[in-house]
Amino acid sequence: MYEATVVGRPLDESDLIQRAKRGDKHAYEELVHAYQGIAFRTAYVIAGNGADAEEAAQDGFVKAWRALGRFRTGAPFRPWLLQIVANEARNRRRSAGRRMQLAVRAAAQEPSGGAAPSPEATLLSGELRQRLVAAVNNLSEDQRTVISLRYFVGLSEQETAEALGLPTGTVKSRTARALEQLRESYD
Amino acid sequence: MTELERALVALGGELDFPPAPDLVPAVRARLERRRFGRPLVFAVALLLIAFGIAMAVPEARSAILRFLHIGAVTVERVETLPAALERPLVAGLGPALPRRLAEQRAQVPIVLPQLAGPAPTRYYAQPGLIATLLRYRGKPVLLAELPNDQLGIGKKIAAPETKVEPVQIGRFGIWLTGGKHVLIWQLSTGETRQIETRLAGNVLIWLVGDRTFRLEGDLAKSQMLALAREITR
Repeated sequence: MYEATVVGRPLDESDLIQRAKRGDKHAYEELVHAYQGIAFRTAYVIAGNGADAEEAAQDGFVKAWRALGRFRTGAPFRPWLLQIVANEARNRRRSAGRRMQLAVRAAAQEPSGGAAPSPEATLLSGELRQRLVAAVNNLSEDQRTVISLRYFVGLSEQETAEALGLPTGTVKSRTARALEQLRESYD
Repeated sequence: MTELERALVALGGELDFPPAPDLVPAVRARLERRRFGRPLVFAVALLLIAFGIAMAVPEARSAILRFLHIGAVTVERVETLPAALERPLVAGLGPALPRRLAEQRAQVPIVLPQLAGPAPTRYYAQPGLIATLLRYRGKPVLLAELPNDQLGIGKKIAAPETKVEPVQIGRFGIWLTGGKHVLIWQLSTGETRQIETRLAGNVLIWLVGDRTFRLEGDLAKSQMLALAREITR
């Protein structure tokens, strides 16, 4: 099952990057460990299936290692890495007709027993959750990819633009149109 | 952030995404392998040259080339073929399975991308080997995929009439055509099973990444290469 872990920037990330640039594989493994979750989810949203996403993320990490010499010291590592992974995932997206269908985990649909629901869960009770999933699934593939990267994976607008190879303005307008369409189902 | 956007963020935590795999061991292995990458490329280049010379000289063909290891497959040239029967393409591979079940049984995920035409429905699995029955240009073609860390799981025994030539695909590829050749799958249980004799089965074997691909069917070399390039594009 997917675990929604928060991926923060470790305090010593720049140190790990410097060590990795000097050929320290152990330092690079720590970076892989820190970013593998978000890399896989980014690839999954773009490639549309788990097997391709795993390959894309793995290939992305290997290519990023080879390209580390070109990585600008002091630049944010995450968008740079995700751009490489997303590019691999785009190469594996096999056909326009093959769309990932989002679904809610079974556990999330069950009542939480005696425990008080979290504020997020309160936002998404019962029918509303299902309506929203259906509405996201009904978006065009381009819109759904942007929404998934922005809200489900947690990328910034800039990171989403870099991952998809689009201008930031396109991501912004695509997001706005998709939200407008989703609002009809949500309200 | 609007209420809708907050609801989407909350929904993201409840979606049934596949579990994120631990990529560290695989990435580590690939980085370690890369240390030997250049010598390997050099060795393959030398092998290719030597192979070309051997194939160009008939006497050398029999004298020099007795064995050729290509990924998980070994090609052995012999004067006299062992006794074998003519069998269908999928003989010995067990029952046809749905893709997911075949992948589980073989413990080898299929690389095969979506190709033009109807999607394949018949998959076959043995430990360390997964096969897909395709139709290409109206003819049945069997694609077998084998991880490279199983030296000699597939063994091809070729008679002198069989032409074996290197081809440009993946890291290294060979094309076998003409004459009889016998295929033996060496299963991971240690059991050896001889599957079939082919009178005119053309075979393309090639390496991409850590995997050996083997295509077999009644196709011309150019057709087989075109299909192979679609598979591992």
